[in-house]
Amino acid sequence: MEQIIANGLYLGAQYALIALGLTLIFSLMNVLNFAHGQMYVFGGFVTYTVVAQFKLPFVVGLLASAVVLAVMGALIEKFLFRPVIRKSKRDESTMLLAAGIAFFLDAVILLLFGEKQRGVPKIVNGVFNWDMRIIMPYDRILIGLLAIALIVAFILFMQYSRTGRAMRALAQDRVAAELMGVDVDRYSMIGFALGAMLAGLVGGLLVTITGVNLGMGGPTSIKAFLMIMIGGAGVISGAIAGGFILGMMESVGLTVLAAYGDVTYLAIFAALMIFLAIRPQGLMGKPWG
Amino acid sequence: MKRRVFLGTTGLSLALALAATTSAWAENAKLKIGFVGVTSGPAAAWGISNQRSMETRAAWLNELGGVKIGDTTYDVEIVPFDDQKDPKRAIAGMEKMAQDGIHYVVGPNVDDGAAAVRPVAEQNGIMYFPYAFPKELYAPPASNAILGMVANYQSGPAIYKYLMENKGVKKVAFIAGNESDPLSQRDSGSAAAKALGLEVVSDSVTYQMDTTDFTPVLLPVIQAAPDLLVLSGVSPANAPQLIRSARELGYTGLISTETAQDAAVLQEGAGDLANGFISVGGASTPELASDTMKEFVKRYTEKFGEYNDESNTKVYALEYIIETLKANPKAIDSVDEFKKTIDGFEAPNPFMVGDAKLKYVGTTSFGQKRQVSVPLVVNEFKDGKFETLFVAQVD
Amino acid sequence: MTPVRLLGIGAFLIGVFVLVPLFIRLSGRWDLYYTLTSVALLSVGAAGVWLTFYIGRINIGQGAYALLGGYVSAILVTQWGVSFWLTLPLAALTCSAVSVLIGLPILRLRGVYFAMVTLVLTEVARLTALALPITNGAKGITSIPLPGKLSIFGLTLIPDFATLENPKLAFYLMAAVLMVLTYLVLWRMVNSRLGHLCRSLQQNEELSASIGVNTAMLRVLAYAISSFFGGLAGAMFVAISQSIYPSSFAVSDSVNFMLYCFLGGLGYVFGPLLGTLLLYFGWDLLSVAKEYQLLIYSGAMIILMLVLPNGVLSLLDRKGGQK
Repeated sequence: MEQIIANGLYLGAQYALIALGLTLIFSLMNVLNFAHGQMYVFGGFVTYTVVAQFKLPFVVGLLASAVVLAVMGALIEKFLFRPVIRKSKRDESTMLLAAGIAFFLDAVILLLFGEKQRGVPKIVNGVFNWDMRIIMPYDRILIGLLAIALIVAFILFMQYSRTGRAMRALAQDRVAAELMGVDVDRYSMIGFALGAMLAGLVGGLLVTITGVNLGMGGPTSIKAFLMIMIGGAGVISGAIAGGFILGMMESVGLTVLAAYGDVTYLAIFAALMIFLAIRPQGLMGKPWG
Repeated sequence: MKRRVFLGTTGLSLALALAATTSAWAENAKLKIGFVGVTSGPAAAWGISNQRSMETRAAWLNELGGVKIGDTTYDVEIVPFDDQKDPKRAIAGMEKMAQDGIHYVVGPNVDDGAAAVRPVAEQNGIMYFPYAFPKELYAPPASNAILGMVANYQSGPAIYKYLMENKGVKKVAFIAGNESDPLSQRDSGSAAAKALGLEVVSDSVTYQMDTTDFTPVLLPVIQAAPDLLVLSGVSPANAPQLIRSARELGYTGLISTETAQDAAVLQEGAGDLANGFISVGGASTPELASDTMKEFVKRYTEKFGEYNDESNTKVYALEYIIETLKANPKAIDSVDEFKKTIDGFEAPNPFMVGDAKLKYVGTTSFGQKRQVSVPLVVNEFKDGKFETLFVAQVD
Repeated sequence: MTPVRLLGIGAFLIGVFVLVPLFIRLSGRWDLYYTLTSVALLSVGAAGVWLTFYIGRINIGQGAYALLGGYVSAILVTQWGVSFWLTLPLAALTCSAVSVLIGLPILRLRGVYFAMVTLVLTEVARLTALALPITNGAKGITSIPLPGKLSIFGLTLIPDFATLENPKLAFYLMAAVLMVLTYLVLWRMVNSRLGHLCRSLQQNEELSASIGVNTAMLRVLAYAISSFFGGLAGAMFVAISQSIYPSSFAVSDSVNFMLYCFLGGLGYVFGPLLGTLLLYFGWDLLSVAKEYQLLIYSGAMIILMLVLPNGVLSLLDRKGGQK
């Protein structure tokens, strides 16, 4: 039992961090970023290149991922999303653009980093073993804690910094924020960069444990979508809750339903659809977010 | 007005592109061999290693002056098509091959694609070499597919038997991704293990292909305490993570799979924890590789920057096609001639030391010779390299 | 109906049924038949997705219905020996029935929530197909016979495909007929009272409910028709590939159906048709670019979106004019 909870918490921490970036972008621009998973993969490959190829410390790799992805996010917002949002008649049109970017990043990743699964060596060795009740390798514990630290830092940033407050205002009411003198374009760009950076950071963190390959992008996006649906789209606390809930459901489901074969995810998906049918805006979402 | 021009130019360029692909090249004799497989997306590693090994070998043969079939010398040209692991695209790819007048195609890489292209291949007279295991592709009435590698229901029993006799394995557990190929392989593997008298302690646990943490997945399997954990049809991306999670959960038994893996990927993903991992490979371990194989690896590495050990099992299909055509030049545009040649065909295997032969097998499994004979090389991973555990043959 | 419009429709029909086969015969590009068959069938599925867009819902779940339709047809043909031509409407109707059951609860969702639930639906369909015994699980259903003869009162309408010299042409014509019928229905619907009601849903559901439109009923109806098209497309595809696996229609197909609609233009009935043609055909043409295929394909998609964010057909809009 303890093991199941520990697994769920670890999964939840990494999921929540992935969902945060996605929900931030959604809340600011009403864009469902299909390329989020690809950004995560890109971040993983950047860290891999820095750590495994250039033999630099892991922290440098993480920083490199953060910077590269932030720049990428800012450019994508400024040159792609902004003009399209301005010109399109329906909000959803950005989905095609996002999907195009996702395919494009897939192609770039394949050309730059190759088709193989990549991973960097463990950063800490050893396994924590509490009387066979909880078994958890130290590197997982470290990554889990780092993920939680990043989540806390992000919340603090959004709560107390000037930029964070501006972005929250923007998310609440774009027009009102603009009238109050918030530079909408600037903060949209910062928000997008921040969201992309978060994706890159998770990629960098997880490359030490799960490794990275070019196929992970699409499925990661979909998982992130699930989480923000559970928690409520566009709400920071919702994304965190969604991440932990999905992590816990997987951990419990995979253990309890192991004997029945492939039904775990079927059960999770069915539960999700029923839940959303009862509560269409997720746990904490704005109605019709 | 401008918009009209835009529409017009789009139409024009479409038409031009069409025309460009229609017009054939007027050059020396070319022997076109097709490849229909997945070279993008999650399973890209399978198709890319496949396509690259074909391209490497083709470029090498051409450099040597081409291949002489009958009285004509041909340059080998590989025509690739990315099916994105989508059976519908695979059909389009096969149609394209037929259009190009190609009669020999390597691929597709997965079960659904291989099944979907069958009608097209049979209507258009194409022999294809899938890397998919369903028996109905190769057993009569089907006759145009030739299995390009050793199937897991052939290698699995050999591995289990070896481990029973040499490592005292009694209890075995299976785990598979919830996709067609791994699940089918798990079922046949489990049946084979039972037939050998092994106790199957767990064969119902599956995982999503995109799992990032295998600890919860493996927990119930490890609790069943097997001596041997079989990763059925595991993809190269998932193998290191599964191994690592199993070891970190305290599992000390053996781990094996019946698919080909890449040593560098295992080393990066699992490090020392992967030591002792048993997988199936081709003939590139130092003990078995001939000079041709070593040269092949060298050329592949030069051409694409990095070798992929999965290519060891994928270098053969092209070799078989060319050698069979050499044996019967009439087969170059007639698959019926090719089928006639299959039964008696034999040629030396250039990739392996000793006197290994290229010949068609599969009578036991399919009732007709519809499989290339490649050595069943079972490897053990040790400190970043594969070592040969044993070699067997399939009939 | 204006003469210009009639002329346009006539030209389209002649193009599809006369010019394309003629071109293929003259140029010898027989492989185009399959590509165009795929375009026709995928555009049938995309038409359904477009219809859900029309009531203001983003549908990323058409793959689920295509898979369901495919399985219904495959199971009826292989296990009960039902004629394929009978299974085609049965498959589509089953999809409609299932979509009503699923649609009743989930159509209450809007925006990204609906989009995501439908996306999950595709995965649910795949996992269900893997888990159920009737679908033969992971091993799929293979060696499905070609469509047989269809005759009414002894009059052969469609000959047995297995006896045909060129089943490719037959499949193409069949798919083209389906496509034409689908778009005829769609076009008729959009320009009817029902279409106006759907448009009112797209703009403001509360408002249309307040003036007495039965929104719940309308939504389910539109979704059922949408799924009907999805089932048709799926069943036809299975007849062509003579096999079906749980992965025959996957999440990527669902996403593609949606992209076809976007690219063609959400405001135009023939948008999904054009979008399917451009994206599917474009990918095939780009296969000459080998490893840069995806790069060029996605790059073109991004550029198209930048230039024409409302879809390719928005080129036809008169400046400043509304549709």
